Amino acid sequence: MKPHTRPEHGRQWTLPSVRTLGDVTEIVLAPLMDRKAGRNYWFAFAASLAIAAVGATAIGWSIAVGPGLWGNNTSVVWGFPIANYVWWIGIGNAGTLISSLLLLTRQDWRASINRFAEAMTLFAVSMAGIFPILHLGRQTYFYWMAPYPSTMTLWPQWRSALVWDFWAILCYLLFSVLFFYVGLIPDLAALRDRSGKLGWRRFYGFFAMGWQGSARQWRTQERLHKALAVLAVPLVCSVHSIVGLDFAASMMPGWIESVFPPYFVVGALFSGFAMVVLIALVLRWSMGLEGIITSAHFDAMAKILLAAAIIMSASYASEWFSAAWSGEAADLALVRFEFTGAYWPLYIAMLACNVAAPQLFWVPRLRTSVRVLVGVSLAVLLGMWLERILIIMETLSTGYDPGFFRLYSATFVDFAILAGTLGAFVWLFLVFARVLPVCSMYETRKLLARERENDA
Amino acid sequence: MSRLAIALFDDEGPFVRASTRALARDFRILGQWGPYPLEIFEDHGDTRAIVWAVAITGILGAAAMFALATFSTYAYPFDSGGRPLFTWQTFLIPSTEFLALTGAIGGVIALFIKAGLTRLHHRAFDLAEVERASRDSFVLALACDTGDSANAAVALLAEAGAFHTRVVE
Repeated sequence: MKPHTRPEHGRQWTLPSVRTLGDVTEIVLAPLMDRKAGRNYWFAFAASLAIAAVGATAIGWSIAVGPGLWGNNTSVVWGFPIANYVWWIGIGNAGTLISSLLLLTRQDWRASINRFAEAMTLFAVSMAGIFPILHLGRQTYFYWMAPYPSTMTLWPQWRSALVWDFWAILCYLLFSVLFFYVGLIPDLAALRDRSGKLGWRRFYGFFAMGWQGSARQWRTQERLHKALAVLAVPLVCSVHSIVGLDFAASMMPGWIESVFPPYFVVGALFSGFAMVVLIALVLRWSMGLEGIITSAHFDAMAKILLAAAIIMSASYASEWFSAAWSGEAADLALVRFEFTGAYWPLYIAMLACNVAAPQLFWVPRLRTSVRVLVGVSLAVLLGMWLERILIIMETLSTGYDPGFFRLYSATFVDFAILAGTLGAFVWLFLVFARVLPVCSMYETRKLLARERENDA
Repeated sequence: MSRLAIALFDDEGPFVRASTRALARDFRILGQWGPYPLEIFEDHGDTRAIVWAVAITGILGAAAMFALATFSTYAYPFDSGGRPLFTWQTFLIPSTEFLALTGAIGGVIALFIKAGLTRLHHRAFDLAEVERASRDSFVLALACDTGDSANAAVALLAEAGAFHTRVVE
């Protein structure tokens, strides 16, 4: 990829080869309508489905036999399920946050990335929702978290963080579906009008709900889209703050910290943007979207990753400082354990991934290097997963009472479930990429029109 | 449908120009369609109902969730470390989440009503040109009562920069 410099022709978010509004439609729809899925696609499809099947088997086995198959023990009671939940919901939070925040701040360049970022949210939150249910142990009773007139006159315990999570996931997932759909309606109409086969025309036509693109429809849709974005930003922040409160509302050393809610929100944005960068690179390469996902997009996203890495570094430093400042023995012991305890190599790896690796993005040339972008994004995703599991392992392995000190080691089933959700996530994305436009066509057309104006 | 002149534009500039000139010359605009939203569309109808729908359904949803949490806490009293039953701070958490969800549901319903969606067929779909609005073109339809006004409308649209014009009887 060519390094991003502000071009002389005044266009940076679309390439000069994209000349007309029709070009945008063709670039986005041609892979869906005109081209058959290639061998690489079907290989990825089969591989991700197979991995998802392994995960599904591990989940089925866990439900049949019980949580004894996992590495969880009497001290580290949360283990992989909660770490995976926090990691997935972090990625899931980022899609809607990126889309709504960039919409409200009038960042027109969001047009090329918002659609697949929102799809990422839907799939990641769906994966996240699996884990708290699994972790219940008696999964068939998960519906007890919902308020309903039970014959036992039993109601949810509203002071429980588990009930907060239930509402956070449910409301956020359904809200994200609606937000995604409202932005998708005009593009569904484009698919309806361009589809050759009657079956597909009916399918897209049904979901397009009779959209014509009339002045009144645009006006109403745009107004609602912005209103939903206004709701989405506090919603996303609240959802991940609730996840932070799962920890911060406890009395455990390393968890009872007021910085946790904002720290978790930034962490979610951080890992989510890393995933968006990876997905953007894959889609750009595999679907020929170079004309509308340019080096300028990667330059902008890399800067956001760098900024998030700096905030994350400050959060880690504040954790160490708080322990030192308070002088609390358990907090000091925890910080000492982070650097010298049984998990220290993982902790150092986490710092290397989350703090050190994104610093490469200070160099402008590296912000548009495919290899560096892939490497740093993978490092951030790994680093954020390590952060999630370490928050759980370190605090619960030590705690206050030496009688409860117990180390944690994950089992094959733990890894199989995590891999299974990764496989299912990729598989859902592959299906999405063949059925719906991965970029918002109408917003990209508008972006192109603005860029042409600047050009003229 | 009475007689109308319809035109296609490949850019928003000529489309806006044609719309402005048509209004200045007292033509009635029957319809405007586009591949993305434009500022001139903001004159079409009051959309405050959308915001009100989001706000009202959101607040009602939050209030309902808060009421449910309060009711159920007393319906099934549970002493958690001697804390008071009415822990309103924790009730605010699901209420806030529910506010966003019910607000969004209310907004989508309002969109369907205000934008005339769920109507899978509309007279506009009989005009082949309208289909281009979802792809690459702006479409403008002007009402013409007489043959002379149809000619004048077509001339106006062509002068403004339409790449295709047609009179529909």
